[in-house]
Amino acid sequence: MRGNIKRAFRLYMYFFRIGWFTFGGGWSIVAQMQTDFVEKEKAIDAQELLDIVSVGRSLPGTMIGNVAYLFGYHQCGVLGGVLSVLGIITPPLVILSIVTLFYHSFRDNPYVARALTGVRAVVAPVILSAVWKLQKAGSPLPKPMFYGLLAFGCVLSLVFDVSSVLVVLSGVIFGVIYHFVSKRKGAAAQ
Amino acid sequence: MMTIFQLFWSFLQIGFTSFGGLSMIPLISSEMLGHGWMTSTEVSDIVAIAEMTPGPLGLNCATFAGIRVAGVPGALAANFGMLMPTFTICAAGAVFFERFKNSDVLKHVMTVVRPVCIGLIWAVIISLCMENYAVAGQVQLTSILIGCLGVYLLLGRKWSVPKVICLAAALGIIFCRG
Repeated sequence: MRGNIKRAFRLYMYFFRIGWFTFGGGWSIVAQMQTDFVEKEKAIDAQELLDIVSVGRSLPGTMIGNVAYLFGYHQCGVLGGVLSVLGIITPPLVILSIVTLFYHSFRDNPYVARALTGVRAVVAPVILSAVWKLQKAGSPLPKPMFYGLLAFGCVLSLVFDVSSVLVVLSGVIFGVIYHFVSKRKGAAAQ
Repeated sequence: MMTIFQLFWSFLQIGFTSFGGLSMIPLISSEMLGHGWMTSTEVSDIVAIAEMTPGPLGLNCATFAGIRVAGVPGALAANFGMLMPTFTICAAGAVFFERFKNSDVLKHVMTVVRPVCIGLIWAVIISLCMENYAVAGQVQLTSILIGCLGVYLLLGRKWSVPKVICLAAALGIIFCRG
């Protein structure tokens, strides 16, 4: 019990540290979690991180709040979930409070604008580095099916502007079909 | 006190009916204008600012509106409202997921959902590239160069995300035109 509380506070500190770098709608945090938890600490594997992201993205609310909660809960229960969420939202809360107070000077400051143009230039590479590693993690699906589903998700969202919830939900429907097909195959093989 | 509760309630509604990103802007806008908490210029300003600064758009709007309307307690109430879906639906989802994640059905479903989710992330990357490397039809060479350096440092030199973001901010101040 003691150890659990300690671990939950460590999660708070971790998410507090990386919360300052939440860019690109929170996707940069997924990249950070990939490096720290999948590669370094091996607390979860790439598949589990993807599961957390899929579930977090398709539930209502802030994606990164959901992702932090799901990860924290996975690590040490409800307390871990709540403290992870509080950790990740503290930095934006502080930054936005300051920005709100100096709203006009912030909006019109040329150096701020330039720094943020620079940051925006690396947000896509940051997310790319994460997706690259997640993609390499491997899948039991045959390659054409894997890339077909990938293209399906990408095109639906990018070209047809379908909301991510519906995209993930259609993935779930395919998943159920896949379940029954592979079960039947398994039964036929026996 | 009433205002603080109203802030909480407004952002709770925004939280439950939005699924992240820009989809929540019309909702935020109608709630803010409806209560007379912001003007429409302020709404578009805050969207721009919330997009630039770190943090998710919805929570940043909550902080901005909360502080403007009722100070720090207002900001806390608005943030808390915005996080309610996480503490209810997502919390229930987490229990469900942990319990059934070893079942055959959920394993198979997630096997299929994973590549779809990777596809979604690619869509985010592509639209971010279109927004940030070509502003108003003009190719932004400086941004592209900073982006290439970012890819090299992250994948080739294994730099951490915060380090790359700080370097990019510094390069932006020196080389970008704002």
